[in-house]
Amino acid sequence: MQAVVVTITSGKGGVGKTTCTANVGCALAVLQKKVAVVDGDIGLRNLDIVMGLENRIVYDSVDFIEGRCRLRQALIRDKRAPELYLLPTAQTRDKSAISTAQMVQLCDELRKEFDYIVIDSPAGIEQGFHTCLAPADKVLIVTNPEVSSVRDADRVIGLVESQEKGPAQLIINRLVTARVKKQEMLSMEDIVEVLSTDVIGVVPEDEMILMSTNRGQPVALNGKGPAASAFHHIARRLIGEDVPLQVQQSNTSLFQRLFGRG
Amino acid sequence: MISIKGLRQGLLVVFDESPWLSQLRELESKLNANSHFFKGGQIALDVKTLLLTADELQRAQTLLQQYDVTLWAVLSQNESTNETAHKLGFSDTLSGPPTQFAGEGEEHEQDGTAGGNAITEGTDGLLVRRRVRSGQVLRHPGHIVVIGDVNPGAQLIAGGDIIVWGKLQGVAHAGALGDSGAMICALELTPSLIKIADAARGSVNGRLSDGHRRSRSRKPEMARLEQEEINIVAWQEK
Repeated sequence: MQAVVVTITSGKGGVGKTTCTANVGCALAVLQKKVAVVDGDIGLRNLDIVMGLENRIVYDSVDFIEGRCRLRQALIRDKRAPELYLLPTAQTRDKSAISTAQMVQLCDELRKEFDYIVIDSPAGIEQGFHTCLAPADKVLIVTNPEVSSVRDADRVIGLVESQEKGPAQLIINRLVTARVKKQEMLSMEDIVEVLSTDVIGVVPEDEMILMSTNRGQPVALNGKGPAASAFHHIARRLIGEDVPLQVQQSNTSLFQRLFGRG
Repeated sequence: MISIKGLRQGLLVVFDESPWLSQLRELESKLNANSHFFKGGQIALDVKTLLLTADELQRAQTLLQQYDVTLWAVLSQNESTNETAHKLGFSDTLSGPPTQFAGEGEEHEQDGTAGGNAITEGTDGLLVRRRVRSGQVLRHPGHIVVIGDVNPGAQLIAGGDIIVWGKLQGVAHAGALGDSGAMICALELTPSLIKIADAARGSVNGRLSDGHRRSRSRKPEMARLEQEEINIVAWQEK
C-alpha cells in the first residue's frame, strides 16, 4: 500500500497531541500496520517518554538530517507491537534545526519503509507547526471540549485549509459524558456546530491515561478502558474501515461518580 | 486620483499618470482618514507607466508600514520600474497568494479558490461562500457577503455593508471607510463586537457569542447607525 503521513496537531498546547500520537500509532501497529511515530516537537520532545522509549535514544531526527547517522540508526524499534518504530527528535535544539523541505524529505524516506507515519506536531501556529504540516496527507486536530481549545482548533483548521492540506479531521479528547449531560461541558454537537469538521473519534476522559503516560505504556497497546477502545476505533477509521462513531462513558474514579462528577 | 479596489489577495491601489509625490500624498491622506480599515492589511500597487526608483518605492513601503500595512506587489507597465520592484522583493503579478505571507495566515481571501468557493472580484462587493474561521480576515472596500457562518475570532471589515447568511460571531466592521449609512445584517447577529463607521458596540444581544449556548430560535436582525448609536432591529419590520 501507499504510505500515509498523518500529522496530529491542535494549536493549543496541553490538549493531548502527544498522547493521541502515541496511541493512534500503537493502535495502527496492533492492526498489523508498519508504523513510525515521529516527534515533531524539536527541543521539547515528549513522545519518547509517553512511548516509554526515552532511554533507548542514541540518535535522533536532527542527527539524521545533519548527516551524523543513517535513518535506520535513529529509528527505535518498539518490541511491544509487530512493526512499530519511534523517530525521536533532539532535546537540545530548536525548531529551526529541521526545515520544511527537510521534513518532507525525511518523510519521503520513511514512506519507503512504512504504511503509516504519524507526526506529533508542536503546539502553536509557528514554523514548527508548518514544518510538520508540510508532509501531511491527512491532518488530525485534537481539541478538548472547552471554548478556548475549540477556538484554537478553528484557527488551525483555517490554516490547514489555506495550505490545501484539508479537510482536517477532529479528535475530541477528554470528553466527560456526565458533564456534557449537565451542560457543564461542550458536547460533540456543540463543537461540530462551530468547526463543521468531520469527527474521526471521541476519546473519553479516562484515568488510565495519566498512569499510562507516566509509565510509558500507551493504553492502545494493552487495549483496556474506554480511551484505549476509542484509539482503536480511530485507527480503524484511518485505515478505511467503517466504524460507527460512539461516545463512550468516561472512566473516572468511583468517588467522582458517586458525587456525580465523573 | 488614486482608486482602491478589493482583491482576493487583499487591496489594490491603482495610481494614474499624475506626479508620484502628489499621488503618494493622496494615499497618505486616505490611510490617515481610514486607518482602521487598512490596519493589518496587505496592499498591491498598480503604478501604471510611472518610472519609479528604488528610493521612491521604498518610500511608499515605509509610508504603508507606518499604518501597519504591508506592500507585497507592485504592478507596472514600465520595464525599469518592474525591474526595480523585483529587486526589492515585490511580486510583479497578482496571480496566486502572496507567498511571503503563507506562514502568517492573517489574510485568507486566497482560501476561496482552494475549497471550491466562489469569490467575486471588483469594487462592488466580495462574495464568500464558506465558513470564516478564527484568525481569518475578510477586508473589502465595497460590501461583504458571506454565505456561511462567521466564527468567533474572525473579522470582517467592509467599506460598505456586511451581510451574513448564517451566524455572525467574531468582529464585523461596516462602513469602515466612513460611511455611517452602512449596515450589518445576519440570520443570527451575535458578534463579539460590531462597528459601523466610527461607532462600536460590544457583545451584541448581551451574551457571549461562543456557540456555547444554542440559539436555534434566533431571528434575522440588522444593525444600523442611528444618532451615533448602533441600533439592532429584527429583520421583519412592521
